[in-house]
Amino acid sequence: MAKFFGLDKLAYLFRIMKENGGIRSSLYKLYRMDDLKMGTLMGIDKCGNKYFENNRYFFGRNRWVEYAPKYGTDYDASQVPSEWYGWLHYKTDLTPDKDPSRPIYKWMSEPTENMSGFSGAYIPYSTTKPKIEAWVPPKPS
Amino acid sequence: MLRSSLIKVLNGAKVSPKHVCVTFRAASDVAKKPEKIEVFIDDQPVLVDPGTTVLQAAAQVGVEIPRFCYHERLAVAGNCRMCLVEVEKSPKPVAACAMPVMKGWRIKTNSDMTKKAREGVMEFLLVNHPLDCPICDQGGECDLQDQSMAFGSDRSRFTDIQFSGKRAVEDKDLGPLIKTVMTRCIHCTRCIRFASEVAGIDDLGTTGRGSDMQIGTYVEKFFMSELSGNVIDLCPVGALTSKPYSFTARPWEIRKIDSIDVFDAVGSNIVVSTRTNEVLRILPRVNEEINEEWLADKSRFAYDGLKRQRLITPMLRDNKNELTPVDWEAVLLTVCKVLQQAGPNVAAIAGGMADAETLVAVKDLLNRLGSELTCTEHVFPMDGSGTDLRSSYLLNNKISGAEEADAILLIGTNPRFEAPLLNSRLRKTYLHNEAQIAVIGPKVDLTYEYEHLGNNATAICNVLNDNCPFSSTLKNAKKPLIIVGADLLKRADGAAILSLVQSIAAQTCNKVEGWKVLNILHKVASQVAALDIGYTPGVSKIREAKPKALILIGADEGAINKEDLPEDCFIIYQGHHGDLGACMADAVLPGAAYTEKQATYVNTEGRAQQTLVAVSPPGLAKEDWKIIRALSEIVGHKLPYDNLNEIRDRLDEVAPHLTRYGEVEGANYFKQAAQLLQEDEEKTLDDSPIDLKIKELQDYFMTDSISRASPTMAKCVQAVLKQKESKY
Repeated sequence: MAKFFGLDKLAYLFRIMKENGGIRSSLYKLYRMDDLKMGTLMGIDKCGNKYFENNRYFFGRNRWVEYAPKYGTDYDASQVPSEWYGWLHYKTDLTPDKDPSRPIYKWMSEPTENMSGFSGAYIPYSTTKPKIEAWVPPKPS
Repeated sequence: MLRSSLIKVLNGAKVSPKHVCVTFRAASDVAKKPEKIEVFIDDQPVLVDPGTTVLQAAAQVGVEIPRFCYHERLAVAGNCRMCLVEVEKSPKPVAACAMPVMKGWRIKTNSDMTKKAREGVMEFLLVNHPLDCPICDQGGECDLQDQSMAFGSDRSRFTDIQFSGKRAVEDKDLGPLIKTVMTRCIHCTRCIRFASEVAGIDDLGTTGRGSDMQIGTYVEKFFMSELSGNVIDLCPVGALTSKPYSFTARPWEIRKIDSIDVFDAVGSNIVVSTRTNEVLRILPRVNEEINEEWLADKSRFAYDGLKRQRLITPMLRDNKNELTPVDWEAVLLTVCKVLQQAGPNVAAIAGGMADAETLVAVKDLLNRLGSELTCTEHVFPMDGSGTDLRSSYLLNNKISGAEEADAILLIGTNPRFEAPLLNSRLRKTYLHNEAQIAVIGPKVDLTYEYEHLGNNATAICNVLNDNCPFSSTLKNAKKPLIIVGADLLKRADGAAILSLVQSIAAQTCNKVEGWKVLNILHKVASQVAALDIGYTPGVSKIREAKPKALILIGADEGAINKEDLPEDCFIIYQGHHGDLGACMADAVLPGAAYTEKQATYVNTEGRAQQTLVAVSPPGLAKEDWKIIRALSEIVGHKLPYDNLNEIRDRLDEVAPHLTRYGEVEGANYFKQAAQLLQEDEEKTLDDSPIDLKIKELQDYFMTDSISRASPTMAKCVQAVLKQKESKY
């Protein structure tokens, strides 16, 4: 009967909102991520991003990341560290903590965020000579 | 460009500032002219003087005969044969450039015989000319290309299917300015004739004959002349091209802007070629009154200095005593504060490349602040009338006037390097007018013979007191000419020397109406304009006044240094190059170079001319007078001009000739100037030898902030020094 009137959908909505921490928090998440989902927490990386899975959604939407609150609305796919990249993109079904065979070498560097549009953006140096060479004042001796 | 007020128009003054007057001098000798003879060019009758060549007669009716070797300003060689034309009743075609016309000749410049002759000559030329137009720098401005299109045969008989090869000639090394591809040479010998006639360097010549003929220097030798770049223009093909400009651009890609040269006081007319806001090359522009069609090497090749050592942002000295880039607002506010604190204790020094607009703006600003200390870097004696009478500081007889002189006395000057184009005129006078030339000063190579009268002030006295044979030559000459170098008058006894020279000039019998004996040759482009506007020559007044703030307008010659100024003196440098002036400055205001502004310059004759904007000033740099105008508004003494026309109206108020572009404003108060100078107390002559700054070719190339920044000029100096070491 409840199903007939779609009340189960409503109940599911309330459950999602409850999982996401109430009305206020849910509205904020909806504003921030344009989506409100519920799933099992698979792990948290060192940046504080949370990784969820819920196979109720179809393939492609069943794994997602909720960026750490510190990023605000300025989150970006390059903030996902490389160890979680494989799980998030279905290269593997094992989360990093359950995958001991992953190689770790000392020359591996920390992943870096894409800073395009910010002050730390990568700008390649110019290979063309400037048309006008400016005068550089001599250093006072 | 209607920029004058209505009153001026009504007064009939020249309206357009772009008006460049090229008046041809009337022949002054009124010897009886022989009767004219009539000839017919393509059945058009024309009356010409006897002795006129066929080519000149044809030019009079507007028929242009093709030519390679013939050039108006060089001797006739007649060896390219391109100008062959048919003359009726003559069995063979005649070379139009060398053949004087006879009465009643009927010349056919378009007949079958003429056409066939041209096609034949062109075929012979092309048989030994490489087909490398696509990689040739002359492509697009090549006489051979143009004339083979216009006058060559429409089909080829060249069938070198065995690829035995065309004639090939080894390239010559003529120095860092001229690139040679001698295989392209068609042996017109224009370069040889230029070198020996105009430049006075008999280095180029031919060796071999027939198809083995080569143009060269016999032994490996650089072409060491201050006019060497002109052979590039003269070469009708791509055999001699510009080394710095090689493979840079094609003539149809570039924009050409008429401008004025400022590397010396001659004010040569130039064309600045630009592309994508970059100066690519500088070529001469014909002006019979000034540079004919030649250009000195420094003016032609120092343009790469415009791209190096530039001031592109305002700078201020920070607390670590380092000049750091700041924005315009910061620097203007700082300078304004300094000027307000200094009050009337402000001074300004104008350098050699300052334009008249900036000079007048700076003077107006300083006068409003209550200071009269506007000086130029270059000294001129202020005794007697000083610079009040224009005739005492101009090249009064004009540059073209030098051609008519019959006795010339050069005192303390080396015109070959101080004004190469005036020297080429003097050489012309020496060659064609058999002028007698004497020099007082160091013995230098002037490319013509002269009598050396001595190297001190006593020699000048000797001329005055008839103690040397040349003095009678000078005094009895019809058109005597005395040229005094501005360098000489820098000495402590400059006024005494000037007085002596004025006395000599007064003694010469002045027979010709309008002939002016006394001439001063300046070295820098700004000096005459600065003196016209009312600047004080020399910086001694500033040394005495101990100003609190000093504005340097492109003053880079080190006339004043920090030791001469009080400790707390704030130095403001405004200019386009980082050189001596910018090094000692506390604030740097980046200005525009002469290719980047529309500005007025007055040459040593007193002829006002203007440069035009060819490229925009680099970075944050601005036009110079606009910087001063902006500064004046912040300081609180707003100058009453907002645009170029208004500042030129101000120039007009100060001295009307400054905006009469292209014309010489004559000056004629020699007697009064001499009297005033003699009325002054007796001056003592210093008998030390006369010294010149520029004596030899290596001294010529780097003399100002632009040429000192130019890599090409540095290479020239190296090449000259290397050549001096060689045994040839």
